[in-house]
Amino acid sequence: MKDIQLENRAVTDEKTKIAANNVNVYYGDTRAIKDVNIDIKSRTVTAFIGPSGCGKSTFLRCLNRMNDTIDSCRVEGRILLDNEDIYDTKVDPVQLRAKVGMVFQKPNPFPKSIYDNVAYGPRIHGLASKKADLDGIVEDSLRKAALWDEVKDRLQAPGTGLSGGQQQRLCIARAIATSPEVLLMDEPCSALDPIATAQVEELIDGLRTNFSVVIVTHSMQQAARVSQQTAFFHLGNLVELGDTDHVFTNPTDPRTESYITGRIG
Amino acid sequence: MNDPHILSAFDRDLEGIQALIMKMGGLVEVAISDATKALETRDVELAEQVRKNDAAIDALEEQVNIEAARVIAIRAPAASDLRTILTVMKLAGNLERVGDYAKNLGKRTSALVQMPVIEGAPGALRRMGRQVENMLHDALDAFVQGDVELAIDVRDRDEEVDQMYNALFREFLTFMMEDPRNISACMHLHFIAKNIERMGDHATSIAEQVIYNVTGEIPDEERPKGDNTSYTFETME
Repeated sequence: MKDIQLENRAVTDEKTKIAANNVNVYYGDTRAIKDVNIDIKSRTVTAFIGPSGCGKSTFLRCLNRMNDTIDSCRVEGRILLDNEDIYDTKVDPVQLRAKVGMVFQKPNPFPKSIYDNVAYGPRIHGLASKKADLDGIVEDSLRKAALWDEVKDRLQAPGTGLSGGQQQRLCIARAIATSPEVLLMDEPCSALDPIATAQVEELIDGLRTNFSVVIVTHSMQQAARVSQQTAFFHLGNLVELGDTDHVFTNPTDPRTESYITGRIG
Repeated sequence: MNDPHILSAFDRDLEGIQALIMKMGGLVEVAISDATKALETRDVELAEQVRKNDAAIDALEEQVNIEAARVIAIRAPAASDLRTILTVMKLAGNLERVGDYAKNLGKRTSALVQMPVIEGAPGALRRMGRQVENMLHDALDAFVQGDVELAIDVRDRDEEVDQMYNALFREFLTFMMEDPRNISACMHLHFIAKNIERMGDHATSIAEQVIYNVTGEIPDEERPKGDNTSYTFETME
């Protein structure tokens, strides 16, 4: 049946934004990610779910080379962003992270004003030449992150003075200020109340008209609500990747079934 | 999926709802059996009992729906758990309808005892009722066991019920043409036959829901159908 609501939920773009081929990640001798192959589609929200320690965050961090900062961490295999290998020696990780933004589990605003937190990225990447342009980017980003109304009268106040939920939305505003093509979110709502969570989910849904979003979440309901594709990780393996509707009504792998129905698998 | 939930209260909820369905199924089977027995033996008291007992079936359906809504609200069931909740709600609806048909049989039996006996018909209707009762019993067994084979078997058996209905339809037509004084009784008996045939459809629907519950796929292949009375006509000379 061609239902408009159902159509809206479907994947809108079949183009592959990020392709990971045979990715293995080691922490010293420990293999944390085992031969993962996955295509992240553009203009699609992909949710990574799985129990603690299954490797979903580790894998997420590979997608913008955040694991480079961990000495013992070694990444094997190929990860292509728009068909370009992001681990190529010619790639500048800073430029990569402007394209592939990230929001972390714990809000981590810079010890600067609210305005400067958001303006930081556009400034260092030279995205705005005039003050008015920069003001526009800051306002737009804060609006998209559903924070503007709460902070518009105190943009020069320190970002660290905001509440936890507000700080997280500030970090989201900061991440989207550079207009990334992909946004990685690692448990972005675990410190937020239900209203702020709903606002962030609404934002994620809005973002997918332009970007790919990859979200790691422990809330199965959140994964079901915001994503079109769901990937289930278990013990470093990618067990199942499929349409979210399918994964939550009739998953293919019994391990996925056990996990999402809350059983001992 | 027989592994227990980490949250044991969830298992208790699901088992509780399943028990309600089985209780409902038991009452409905008795209702079919008693209603057709009352019809054959012209037992008005038993027919009256069937009518009264329907209230308990209706109450159970309501209870199933309340429990299912509670589980959806509190446990947010997914995958096979979600399918089970959707299934019990549909099953309760099907069983409630079958209960209503049995009640209707009781009502018509009270009327039929005032009318001339149509030879052979009550016995044939009781056999038809037994067939449907067995289908229902097996469909609910298939639900509890998660037995797709048995559910498919039930689905296929509906054709026999349809054929029994066809045969009775023609028989009643003949009786009515032979003697117009048979018309009142035959009209009631025909409704009874149609109601039993509808019970078979509900048993089939339960079997299909069981297939969905286990496999996650709704059976789409055309099932065998034996009711062709829609095409029947008789010419009056």
